[in-house]
Amino acid sequence: MHSSSTSQGENGLGRWLIYGVLALMALVYLLPLFVMLVTSFKTGTDIRTGSLISLPQEWVTDSWQAAWGTACTGVTCDGIKGYFWNSIKMVVPAVLISTFIGAFNGYVISKWRFKGSDLFFSLMLFGCFLPFQLVLLPMAAMLGKLGLANTTTGLVLVHVIYGVAFTTLFFRNYYINVPDELVKAAKLDGAGFFTIFWAILLPISKPIIMVTIIWQFTSIWNDFLFGVVYSGADSQPITVALNNLVNTSTGVKAYNVDMAAAIIAALPTLFVYFVAGKYFVRGLTAGSVKG
Amino acid sequence: MAKLDLIDIRKTYPKSDLETLKGINISIEPGEFLILVGPSGCGKSTLMNTIAGLEDISSGEIRINDVDVSGLAPKDRDIAMVFQSYALYPNMTVRENMAFGLKIRKTPTTEIDAEIKRVSELLQIDHLLDRKPSQLSGGQQQRVAMGRALARRPKLYLFDEPLSNLDAKLRVEMRTEVKKLHQRLGTTIVYVTHDQIEAMTLADRIAVMKAGEVQQLGSPYEIYNHPTNMFVAGFMGSPSMNFVPITVLENSDAHACTELTGSDGKAQLLALPDKLKTYVGKKLMLGLRPEHISQQLSHHSETDLISAARFNIEILEPTGPETIAQITINDHAVHCRLAPDLSITAGQDLDLMIDVSKASFFDPDSERNILL
Ligand SMILES: Nc1ncnc2c1ncn2[C@@H]1O[C@H](COP(=O)(O)OP(=O)(O)OP(=O)(O)O)[C@@H](O)[C@H]1O
Ligand SMILES: [Mg+2]
Repeated sequence: MHSSSTSQGENGLGRWLIYGVLALMALVYLLPLFVMLVTSFKTGTDIRTGSLISLPQEWVTDSWQAAWGTACTGVTCDGIKGYFWNSIKMVVPAVLISTFIGAFNGYVISKWRFKGSDLFFSLMLFGCFLPFQLVLLPMAAMLGKLGLANTTTGLVLVHVIYGVAFTTLFFRNYYINVPDELVKAAKLDGAGFFTIFWAILLPISKPIIMVTIIWQFTSIWNDFLFGVVYSGADSQPITVALNNLVNTSTGVKAYNVDMAAAIIAALPTLFVYFVAGKYFVRGLTAGSVKG
Repeated sequence: MAKLDLIDIRKTYPKSDLETLKGINISIEPGEFLILVGPSGCGKSTLMNTIAGLEDISSGEIRINDVDVSGLAPKDRDIAMVFQSYALYPNMTVRENMAFGLKIRKTPTTEIDAEIKRVSELLQIDHLLDRKPSQLSGGQQQRVAMGRALARRPKLYLFDEPLSNLDAKLRVEMRTEVKKLHQRLGTTIVYVTHDQIEAMTLADRIAVMKAGEVQQLGSPYEIYNHPTNMFVAGFMGSPSMNFVPITVLENSDAHACTELTGSDGKAQLLALPDKLKTYVGKKLMLGLRPEHISQQLSHHSETDLISAARFNIEILEPTGPETIAQITINDHAVHCRLAPDLSITAGQDLDLMIDVSKASFFDPDSERNILL
């Protein structure tokens, strides 16, 4: 009774308290980003003389250009741009393929139950809890046998296999809330297995597709371990390049370049989140599909 | 129009040790409107799904126009089904919903357009064709669901509680529409409902089911007036039939009769049909519908099987067109239908008339109707 009918005054006070806490949290999260941003626009001298959170004396974009095109990552000094494209070439197919397979698996598990489909799903779920480290060696052996070692295709394959556990889970949980009667009606209308998937289920899956794409994009783009283990010199993703860049020590540490490179590496995930983020919350909270 | 024969249909779901359908035998004539009723979980939807081919049967035969279809896929049975949740495709407009089945069957576009025009005019949804299902009211969605079924002109229509999601007023309206539709199109329909009035008003015949078995199959009149057992008798009708345990006696004129004891403990004689004379001395269950106990009606003079009796009125429930009163006979609560304008109050005694000519009599052990 008490909590549901709070008076205006209490409400106001409580609200300010909540805002206060939220603002504090936001500050804690935003401060590092702020430091990164201002540092990336500072000159080397500026960094050494000024304080961590002071604004640049003079705003320069030299370190951004260096990070993109000339900074040294190990033996080569061509910046991170090549690796950025490596990552794009890896992440786009990996995300699309794993999302599609997940949708298909989810459809089969939820709408065409077969003998052992529950067991199949449980094993799939188990895949979500497998630590990366566990699969490193067997996967390397497999890629070698397939002739895909050190290639982007190999990396895509690894990410697809690892990601399918999650995407299947997402789609299965979404489709389980789609009434079975929809599928029955389509069967009576004469639609077959694939038509039902294409014409009925996929068109109503937009929210969960968005969730899956964000999830997969973020985890594949940010992955370091698979990237460093399975990529060759010319297929290394940006996370590996970033690590090499930061660890390459030639005289003075160029924090401004490091920061710029780190921000560049984070931009695509931010972009995806801004574009599709509103579906993320919506897709995760969506109950059944409205008829 | 098609004839449908269900021959000894049995169904056990995988992973279930109970048989859900225990040998269903029903023959449905071309153009007949058959209604399935029964308590929740008795297997009505299961039976519908097996007819449609959405579930396999364990044994038996499903014949449409004398052809066994039990091995065919749903799409090859030429059956349309309307579901309780309507199951409209959310991503498609009303037009696309109705055209979907026709498109899959590769019907020429001009024919599809003509068919959609015909059906949407019939159901008065022609102004809604470009809307999505989410932009429709419940009643409109219901019409679209029926339209989708009608558009293919299938041999057989299955309706699984199509009106149960509508509010009471709309349900009555749609009920009339369904009836008109059936009269106009003369299609064969199997229809599941929980609503007894729907069952009584729509059906050519009613099949009452319980625990996977058909208890009785007959016209609404037969089901209501000549129930084969106590389950059917109690299931159809609202308020439901009163069951009063009686002992059959013989009066001084050698007619069958029995004693009814009211709440005051006084016994009153009730004449019984002479067919019951073979049961003298035996205990029976007397089944009396509420409308067979009423206030004294002057034009309804006391004949052989209409007896007068005086009972204490314990509870009065006016419903508008009538008043349901509760009395006690032989320690059992009994409902009777009284005229609404009767000036009585609860607690009073009232002279009632009991019409036994329409009563049913059941064996208390087997629960079967002994006069059938
Ligand atoms: N897929 C299934 N697997 C196992 N058992 C099932 C399945 N579907 C239904 N049943 C069982 O079969 C029985 C009949 O179910 P059915 O849905 O046919 O009942 P119903 O008469 O349509 O009930 P209602 O009036 O509630 O719709 C129930 O006991 C139910 O639990
Ligand atoms: Mg049902």
